[in-house]
Amino acid sequence: MKNSGALVLGIETSCDETAVGIVSGRKLLANIISSSVDEHARFGGVVPEIASRAHLEAMQSVISRALAEAKISIKDIDAFAVTAGPGLIGALLVGTSSAAGLALALNKPLYGVNHLSAHIAVDSLNSDHKLDPAIALLVSGGHSSILQVNDLTSDVKTLGSTIDDAAGEAFDKIARILELGFPGGPAIDKDAKSGNPAAIDFPRGLTLARDLIDHKYDFSFSGLKTAVSRYLAKSPDHIRADVSASFQEAVVDVLLTKAIGAAKDSGIETLIIAGGVAANSRLRSLAKERTEKAGINLRIPPMDLCTDNGAMVAAIGSLAVAKGLAPSKVGFEANSSSGITTPIF
Amino acid sequence: MSTSLAIDTSTSRTSIALVKAGKVIFQAHHDGALSHGEALPKLIADALAVQSEIDEVIVGMGPGPFTGLRVGISFAESFAFARGIKCVGICSLDAIATQFSDPDFIVAVDARRKEVFYARYTDGFRIGEPNVCQPSQLNVLQLPIYGEALSQFPDPTEFVAIAKSGRTYTSPIYVRRPDAYPAPEGVKFRAMTQLDLVPAFAIEKAAYGKDGWTMAQLKEEYLGKERMYVAGEFGGELIAYAGVFNLAGVADVLTLTVADGHRRKGIGRELLRRLIDWARTQKCEAIMLEVRVGNGEAIPLYEAFGFIEISQRKDYYGPGKTAIVMRKELK
Ligand SMILES: [Zn+2]
Repeated sequence: MKNSGALVLGIETSCDETAVGIVSGRKLLANIISSSVDEHARFGGVVPEIASRAHLEAMQSVISRALAEAKISIKDIDAFAVTAGPGLIGALLVGTSSAAGLALALNKPLYGVNHLSAHIAVDSLNSDHKLDPAIALLVSGGHSSILQVNDLTSDVKTLGSTIDDAAGEAFDKIARILELGFPGGPAIDKDAKSGNPAAIDFPRGLTLARDLIDHKYDFSFSGLKTAVSRYLAKSPDHIRADVSASFQEAVVDVLLTKAIGAAKDSGIETLIIAGGVAANSRLRSLAKERTEKAGINLRIPPMDLCTDNGAMVAAIGSLAVAKGLAPSKVGFEANSSSGITTPIF
Repeated sequence: MSTSLAIDTSTSRTSIALVKAGKVIFQAHHDGALSHGEALPKLIADALAVQSEIDEVIVGMGPGPFTGLRVGISFAESFAFARGIKCVGICSLDAIATQFSDPDFIVAVDARRKEVFYARYTDGFRIGEPNVCQPSQLNVLQLPIYGEALSQFPDPTEFVAIAKSGRTYTSPIYVRRPDAYPAPEGVKFRAMTQLDLVPAFAIEKAAYGKDGWTMAQLKEEYLGKERMYVAGEFGGELIAYAGVFNLAGVADVLTLTVADGHRRKGIGRELLRRLIDWARTQKCEAIMLEVRVGNGEAIPLYEAFGFIEISQRKDYYGPGKTAIVMRKELK
């Protein structure tokens, strides 16, 4: 593992986590996260204004804690990276403004980076393996896509994505219906452990032959919500854990079928699973099983690096530095809906 | 010679200035209500090309539309941190007010949703903390109204003088609570009764140990005149309480305590809001409280409500335990 690379500090504020990570080359030195998730729990979703307030409140202390954990001074940092999109605009701006303040104060380069690319780039940390080409399954509260990663910092193609809800969003919605609380992903994962994943045959969206013509690698999860609601209405004596397990199985099954299909079709032998939903235990175990069978090399970041964090932002910043890419222009624009085709702003 | 960097993003204008030994050596602005994030780094880069050495950052803490406001504060705090210099916050309305000399006038800026943030200035001084209202409510005062509607913006070259006056802030002047903030879920707020004194004492002891009130003190304070106590209950159990005392027109917060395990859920915020509301109904001119130096949970909350440190009391909580006295104007 290259230990002697540039010292890069990454800032992430696209949603409800105020996070700062520090890497040296591909080695992770610090990863500090302050979450306002508890404050949002009672609304069943992230409230932008509350998230933005919390980012500003937490920012300075998160930066200081990350530097303390890495045992370095802010003046030692060689380059800064910050999530510039996609995300909540008011939340993103707290991060980009803070990063701009640090970079201008110290006259160091600043890379505005794509949040989705960062989720995949976190796979580079603490190991020397070759990163690209790879097929990436990116699954989170805001996104569900299958990507062809030819070069992580400059050439990423979208093969397919969700046509309605994101996978993480589906977990949140179903958790709300099942009264399991927010965020839904961990709640359903836990509840499903004692349930039977084959108890109920929930639909797998966009898997019929006629759907595959136009949506080979696309997902659809909104039909699942209807199917679960309908099932609950007509089965008053249902076992909740069975519903959780069967719903989770339907999501995980379709994600993996399509992602592994993309790897096989493209002849690319590596599948990276990234994003918050990659922390789902059933997705992790079934992915291992199925990729082994298919002869595909599987990589999933450790659980704590799957959900939003600063280390992933620092990781892609560090890759950009290592490739000698130009930093972002001073005053680059944060973009709440930026696509993955621009990994570096 | 000391150089200050002044930054304001509380209005649709992003403006900055470099002031060196009382002289403005750089000044620039950019107009656009949605472009603070892009404009500010560019303006700062231009300023640093004129002079890179900076000794302090002074930033407008608002009030103003939140998203733009946070761009300036976030930038200023990080810049100051990276340089190892101090960052001072001031009220942005004060930097509009300095441009006018009427004996009595109002400064108002856009607060969105058909409201304005405003403050009143008499004989050159701001009366109380900034507040929010509908423009028509200001018109009845029949005073001159200055501000963004007349293209009058905070003047960053005035920031140094304002910071010196001591009316400084360490967090954004939000004035309004986030729209979505309801009362903490599952917590019931009601008047405190004598039956609550025993569980209250248990919470008091767990929270403050020897420094807390004794049962007798608690009871005596509770039974006193001109005061209001509120209790927070969760699952039928007392988990928080607070009391306020009206002493000749100035309200004094007697206690505000949230049980361990229930903190950081907005319960303290809700209790404090109720104490302030009561003080207003009593027509108190101000509300005061004491808080221990270094209480990192409580002080930001008080500041968010507009409490300002006015003095310190040594050994207030026992030897070596200093109290900060904070005050919020209610008029
Ligand atoms: Zn994410």
